[in-house]
Amino acid sequence: MTSEMIGFRDVSLAYPGGVRALDGVSASIEKGAFVALVGGSGSGKTSLLKTINRLIEPTSGEVVFDGAPVAAQDAPVLRRRVGYVFQGLGLFPHMSVAENICVTPDLLDWSKVDMAARVSELLTLVDLPQEVASRAPSALSGGQRQRVALARALAARPPVMLMDEPFGALDPVTRDGLMRACRALHDALGLTTIMVTHDMQEALLSADRILVLAHGRLVADGTPAEFLRDDAAPEVAALIDVPRRQSARIQDLMRGQGPVAHG
Amino acid sequence: MDERLHAAWRVLPEYLSQHVLLCAAALALALALCLPLTLLALRRPRWAGPLVAVASLVQTIPGLALMALFYPILLAFSALTTAAFGRGVPALGFLPALLALTLYAMLPILRNAIAGLRGVDADVVEAARGVGMTERQILMRVQAPLSAPVVMAGVRTAAVWTIGAATLATPVGQTTLGNYIFSGLQTENWVAVIFGCVTSALVAIIADLSLGAVEQGVALRERKRIFAGVILIIAGVAAALLANFSGGARTYVIGAKNFSEQFILAEAITRRIEGQGATARIQQGLGSAIVYRALAGNDLDVYVDYAGTLWTNVLGRTDTPPHDEMIADLGRALMARDGVRVLGALGFENAYALAMKPERAAALGVKTIADLARVAPQLTLGADLEFLERPEWATLRNTYGLAFKATRSFNPTFVYRALASGEVDVISAFSSDGRIAAEKLVLLADPKGAIPAYDALVLLSPKRRDDPVLDRALKPLIGAITPDAMRAANYASDRDADKQTPAQAAETLLAPIR
Repeated sequence: MTSEMIGFRDVSLAYPGGVRALDGVSASIEKGAFVALVGGSGSGKTSLLKTINRLIEPTSGEVVFDGAPVAAQDAPVLRRRVGYVFQGLGLFPHMSVAENICVTPDLLDWSKVDMAARVSELLTLVDLPQEVASRAPSALSGGQRQRVALARALAARPPVMLMDEPFGALDPVTRDGLMRACRALHDALGLTTIMVTHDMQEALLSADRILVLAHGRLVADGTPAEFLRDDAAPEVAALIDVPRRQSARIQDLMRGQGPVAHG
Repeated sequence: MDERLHAAWRVLPEYLSQHVLLCAAALALALALCLPLTLLALRRPRWAGPLVAVASLVQTIPGLALMALFYPILLAFSALTTAAFGRGVPALGFLPALLALTLYAMLPILRNAIAGLRGVDADVVEAARGVGMTERQILMRVQAPLSAPVVMAGVRTAAVWTIGAATLATPVGQTTLGNYIFSGLQTENWVAVIFGCVTSALVAIIADLSLGAVEQGVALRERKRIFAGVILIIAGVAAALLANFSGGARTYVIGAKNFSEQFILAEAITRRIEGQGATARIQQGLGSAIVYRALAGNDLDVYVDYAGTLWTNVLGRTDTPPHDEMIADLGRALMARDGVRVLGALGFENAYALAMKPERAAALGVKTIADLARVAPQLTLGADLEFLERPEWATLRNTYGLAFKATRSFNPTFVYRALASGEVDVISAFSSDGRIAAEKLVLLADPKGAIPAYDALVLLSPKRRDDPVLDRALKPLIGAITPDAMRAANYASDRDADKQTPAQAAETLLAPIR
């Protein structure tokens, strides 16, 4: 077995009033994996992601990061070792793009020279022109802001990237481009990546492994290939049905057949 | 230049510097207090509501009342500290004004700081936590700069309020630009009133512009603007400090209540003290109850009060003994109880009296207060702000059975206007008031002797009661000011045309005294 980067051991999260956002989730994620966390709204996928860098503390169970329980690690120090792309991006509006990117290196007391070099390197990496460095985030387009958020998460060379619906608000073309850029960065930098998404197609196309959550429980765990097999579990089959039918129709269309109802 | 404008210019450095220092201290203290309270509200959101509610409640108390409230509070506190540590705190002047203005300034600062910090986008705060900032770093690097424009707007509002409200500190004995307004109102010196309004408005505008520059600098992240604003503020406060401390040691503090005669006598006493080579300053516009306590507490060194006032208000006596006996008793009682020395009587009385227009009095057949009682139910009494609350009025009313159709209170100056315009039929007046002769009013006789003697007495504080300079300076005034001289001086400063400043009137009054 390859070495574990992140481990969930019977993780539960209950809110006062008895609502269980997470219910006994256990999983082990090895180094170098690209994992998609899939589920509908309220399934607990974002909560599970946030237990990794202690933005949320589970009410019971244990989360292990790089061999040590996160509860035993100083939260700010832990978070500086984890890249995080927020759903709402959370770029700092009062800082320039360069300052946004270097916020974690600055917390780690990098030198000014190292930080300037890193900004330049990251802008190239996420395919942004160098001149945006001095601009305010508000002066960028939506896609450019996503790239800045990605660059900020990568800045301190974290071994782990957590992404919460990172490209949700973008048009399909930009979204596809960024997704592929992300995957390429993951491979090139040898990261361990966990991405939360509600889009099964995105998960199938980019991840090595897919975890499906429903009502706070882990209901399926497998590779895209396993998910697409005909003998997949019924919960999985339901999730896979939509992308499978859509792709079959597109293939039919490409072969020159007219629109036909599929049953 | 107009003499009144000249007089106003002369005291500007003192008034302005005191005003600026008071406001700066109050704002600095308010900021210092609001910082931990804001952090508390941020960490414990349940506290935010009650905190702002308390600050709002303070705001509903009128500014003048808030300052007045601090006087008895500090007096009681001073008694406590004296008992515990052998040292009191001053109950008058800077301290009550500072505390009241600080409380006043807190609401806008607190409200905006809490609203500003809470208004910072929750996603941005979570991102700050997510990139690895500690709670303190989140506050300093994200929440503070993002809420700064809103917080600064609150500080600006507080500054403008404070600078305006500071003019109300004059009656509690703190010199401010309000001295122009309060004394100008009393002596109908509109030049002084306008001068006070304009200068305090200018200070407010300059402070607002400076803080505005800081606010914009913070919002636009332009250091130049922030520096410009901060430097302007520091320069203003530094100039005030310099003006305040280069003024030299002011040795004697002279108290004055809030009417012309008191201003003139305070000016006269100042001149006599300066004649001895010492320096003095006037604390004017003090409320009549505050002024005696300030003297007894050594906050003032000398002032002039009236026998009847001391007898009834200070000693709480209700009997009316014969004149000489009362003056002698008074001297003994004040010394025994408070260590206050009665240096002597100036030579005139300023008794409460009831006055009417002669033709109205003649038409009604009123010559004495006993006659007045007969027709009182058809008449309206106009009184100064104090009179109706004073025990003399109660005595007078009970002795003669006076029951007016209505009573109305005015600022002392406006009482005469009200009589002239027919708004009221009878007024409370002071027997030394120059306007009685000038407007040919008749004073109603007091056949039953209900009103006690009101000789003007020079009082010295316990600390200064054996001071040789005061002795030399003020002894020659004893018995030297005749009722006619005082009336003439009062009239010169109260009349509408060719009005003299209290300083000029004091010169005239002192001319015959060596």
